[in-house]
Amino acid sequence: ILDDPDLKDIDPTVLKHCHAAAATCILEAGKQKADISAISTCLEDCKLDKERIEQFCTEYQKNKDALEILLGSIGRSPLHITDVSWRLEYQIKNNQLHKTYQPSYLVTLNVESSDSGSHPDVSFSCTMEQLQDLVGKLKDAAKSLERATQM
Amino acid sequence: MLLVLSADHRAHLGCLPRAGSAAVGELGRLALEQLRRGAAPRACEAAARKLNIGVDTIQHGVEGLTYLLTESSKLMISEIDFQDSIHVLGFSDELNKSLLQLYLDNRKEIRSILGELAPRLPSYHSLEWRLDVQLASRSLRQQIKPAVTMKLHLNQNEDQTARVLQTDPATLLHLIQQLEQALGEMKTNHCRRIVRNMK
Repeated sequence: ILDDPDLKDIDPTVLKHCHAAAATCILEAGKQKADISAISTCLEDCKLDKERIEQFCTEYQKNKDALEILLGSIGRSPLHITDVSWRLEYQIKNNQLHKTYQPSYLVTLNVESSDSGSHPDVSFSCTMEQLQDLVGKLKDAAKSLERATQM
Repeated sequence: MLLVLSADHRAHLGCLPRAGSAAVGELGRLALEQLRRGAAPRACEAAARKLNIGVDTIQHGVEGLTYLLTESSKLMISEIDFQDSIHVLGFSDELNKSLLQLYLDNRKEIRSILGELAPRLPSYHSLEWRLDVQLASRSLRQQIKPAVTMKLHLNQNEDQTARVLQTDPATLLHLIQQLEQALGEMKTNHCRRIVRNMK
């Protein structure tokens, strides 16, 4: 804002105050999910004229959804799974035991953390039965999700 | 596939014919206990007293038997191969039969003990899940954000760890689809052919 040519005539301190005030107003409106009439009333109390209120509200409406998504993504949550990769292998022997002949899966859950940018992926091995157990439990979770949305 | 027994090994097992058939049973038992729980010098001393043989001889005999059993179980050698391998020791038929029986009776257990020594990644133990809906947060009121929170229990070298993870409904369905594909892979012709030909 301080580099904008249209605004160079205005005192920088005043500009900063305006910017901060506008940002706070927008964030509060977004947080409370305020509707247009509430925002208009608020701005009227601040003694803005009708034209400016209308301009503000139009701009706000345009960006409301993006604002909500942004605000909703702030905050802590447990590590979030974004993707899964798997590998199927067939064990033939190891140095302790020959002729093992066992299939096994290596599953990696790609995980994102909301705080740091690090990606501490979770990897584990499992047999076919264990993978079936895991998939069964995930399907139970999905079914209960479906039932919840139908309520 | 034949087992090759070194000179030391043969010397250790050499005490068996002199000991008699009861002793062979006793030594076999000691060998298995050693595999299950580790060396037990007191048990060897007790056996030495009972059978009237030197402790060192007993110790060597037990170690020899242990090595014979673990190597045979590891390679999963057939009855015939086992018999041919111990034939070189020049024991009596009766002793050979006892040894073969000892091998066959305990092969499965020894293999499962050996199986625990292999290198391992953390392995799956179980999964608990919970359906959550986030209704509000400090930055945004009046939300409806469904999420599935899960506790994944893993085993690593006898430690159990639990990781708490979360995912959204869309990713959950994606996970299910991917893992079902993974399960289906074992049933494809390619995998079936390899499993058949590797036996």
